[in-house]
Amino acid sequence: MGQLNLNRVQKFYGTFEVLKGIDLEVRNGEFVVFVGPSGCGKSTLLRMIAGLDETSSGDILIENKRVNDLPPVKRGIAMVFQSYALYPHMSVFENIAFPLRVEKMAEEKLKAKVEHAARILHLDQRLQQKPGMLSGGQRQRVAIGRAIVREPKIFLFDEPLSNLDAALRADMRIELAKLHRQLKATMIYVTHDQVEAMTMADRIVVLNAGEIAQTGAPLELYHKPANTFVAGFIGNPKMNFLPVICKGVSDAGVEVDYKGQTVIVPVAPQAGLAGRTLTLGVRPEHIVLGTGDLTLKVTPSVIERLGAHTVAYAAVGGEGENFCAMLPGTAAIRPEETVTAGIKVADCHLFDEAGIALERRVELTAIDMGVLDPAAA
Amino acid sequence: MSQPALINRYRWYELVGIYAGIFVFLCFILAPFVEGFLVSLKPLGLLFSSPYRFWPENGSFAAYYTMWESVPGFARYIFNSFFISTIVTAIVLVLVIPAAYAFARFNFRGAGVLLGAFLAVNMFSGAVLLIPLFRLMRTFGVLNTYLAMIVPGVAFLIPSAIWLLRTYMMRIPRELDEAAFVDGASHFYTLRRVILPIAMPGITVVAITTFIGAYAQQFIYALTFNSKSEYMPLPVGLFAYFGRQEVVWNELMAASFVGIAPAVVVIFLLQRYLVSGLTAGAVKQ
Repeated sequence: MGQLNLNRVQKFYGTFEVLKGIDLEVRNGEFVVFVGPSGCGKSTLLRMIAGLDETSSGDILIENKRVNDLPPVKRGIAMVFQSYALYPHMSVFENIAFPLRVEKMAEEKLKAKVEHAARILHLDQRLQQKPGMLSGGQRQRVAIGRAIVREPKIFLFDEPLSNLDAALRADMRIELAKLHRQLKATMIYVTHDQVEAMTMADRIVVLNAGEIAQTGAPLELYHKPANTFVAGFIGNPKMNFLPVICKGVSDAGVEVDYKGQTVIVPVAPQAGLAGRTLTLGVRPEHIVLGTGDLTLKVTPSVIERLGAHTVAYAAVGGEGENFCAMLPGTAAIRPEETVTAGIKVADCHLFDEAGIALERRVELTAIDMGVLDPAAA
Repeated sequence: MSQPALINRYRWYELVGIYAGIFVFLCFILAPFVEGFLVSLKPLGLLFSSPYRFWPENGSFAAYYTMWESVPGFARYIFNSFFISTIVTAIVLVLVIPAAYAFARFNFRGAGVLLGAFLAVNMFSGAVLLIPLFRLMRTFGVLNTYLAMIVPGVAFLIPSAIWLLRTYMMRIPRELDEAAFVDGASHFYTLRRVILPIAMPGITVVAITTFIGAYAQQFIYALTFNSKSEYMPLPVGLFAYFGRQEVVWNELMAASFVGIAPAVVVIFLLQRYLVSGLTAGAVKQ
């Protein structure tokens, strides 16, 4: 149960194409997260799966049945809204019971179901209270409770945690992950918060301007981003990009030149790259003080001491973009004092002129494929 | 001594100005009521005494007893007013609640035009349309019945009621409708179990304004479409105190106060439902 297929799903607002032909398969029991910047169409896609927004073209299939023209309840989905959308005049019990009342379920059975859901969500003591008396986290749990009593095939979450404060959000993340394991249901979760995406997802779908930029397991996206968008979007602080000139291609990788330093980046070689301008990507956490395969002289302008880490920002090569490094918490650096920063080529990413990644030769054993792909385990 | 917040602090002359302003306007609004009440306490003979005395000498509530005798049908007039206004309010609410919900939530063709037309209708007072309405009533054979006063009342009160309630319903978060829709509820189910309870304060405001509107405007329909004295409402009933020779002012004033009493009671009762903050906890804002 709970398998979802999207076939070339498109959405137009007037002539503006919000979603440009999305193809996606979500397996039964999977926790899939749609992530992307605001306006990328992720919420629209979720609302289309829910049946709240019309699909302009393409098919939405749930369990291989086309559901485009079915109302939400017949699709077998349940949705949790960002704003909770609780009924303020009803008690917690009635809020959770609402979908069952619509179904006209017998009182006995209804009571048992609501109480069961309340137990799962630790709301048993709150059933007679009104939503106005609950905290933000409790309200969101009520909203989830209303979704789970119906035992839907697919749960849809529209940024459910973005109204909570940071500490509560971390707690709810763990609770949602537990809930997913307990219910073994298919869940689709929309967020703009990459931490939520990385921590909860079996698979992340990164959306950019109405298109899928990349689909993959969290660590796959981190280690092998398919393009500069995903590389820049996943990871915090954001990946640094340096313009480099390709010198040549060999079996060992691609030889590039950055301001007179030549290094070989171990990526899948491609013909015809020599002489072109490529983009070298390196994550802030892979920069160390001292020399490396590639050594830069940088003068940090701002230093943020976070305790566990020190984040240093510097302008490199005169471009407006900041060069960022994440160093150990006690790193010996000061603002406006030039230091030497080193980069290992094995940590580098390389992108062609169109921003498409040249595949990295990552040691797969180093990132344990069993964790990456539940199907392969 | 606790100081008020900075934004609420005023200099002494600002306070004097504020209260002087309040006093002037209150005088304007309340003076007729006070004068009317004082008149109702005076014996008729003293009303035209010269020099005029503001405070009644040997004032009594005698007029409040004699008024029932001078105009025997007065209780009936009060009942008629009350009855017509109540029925008008009930019909308006039944029609306006689903209409306002539709205007607040659905995009349908002509919604904007219709709303504009409602405003335009409001600009005509019923008086302008009296003759066509009279012919209409005659054709339907409802002249000289309660219906003659109820139907036009309802028709003229619906537009403003729709505007009022629509604005209120638009403030109810749309996610509540969507959540109910996802859970399989029909539009009517959603209206009944979700929107109606939350919109109660708005509905109360509409009920009060409609009731007052019906109370005030029935006068003109009653004069035109009704000639049977047993169906006459209060304002027409008050005319009975205008005698051939003289106007019984003190009884007229007493009757006015007694006549509006039921309306005041109704408004007072409805006011309980004007609870603000009823949507607390619905959505995070």
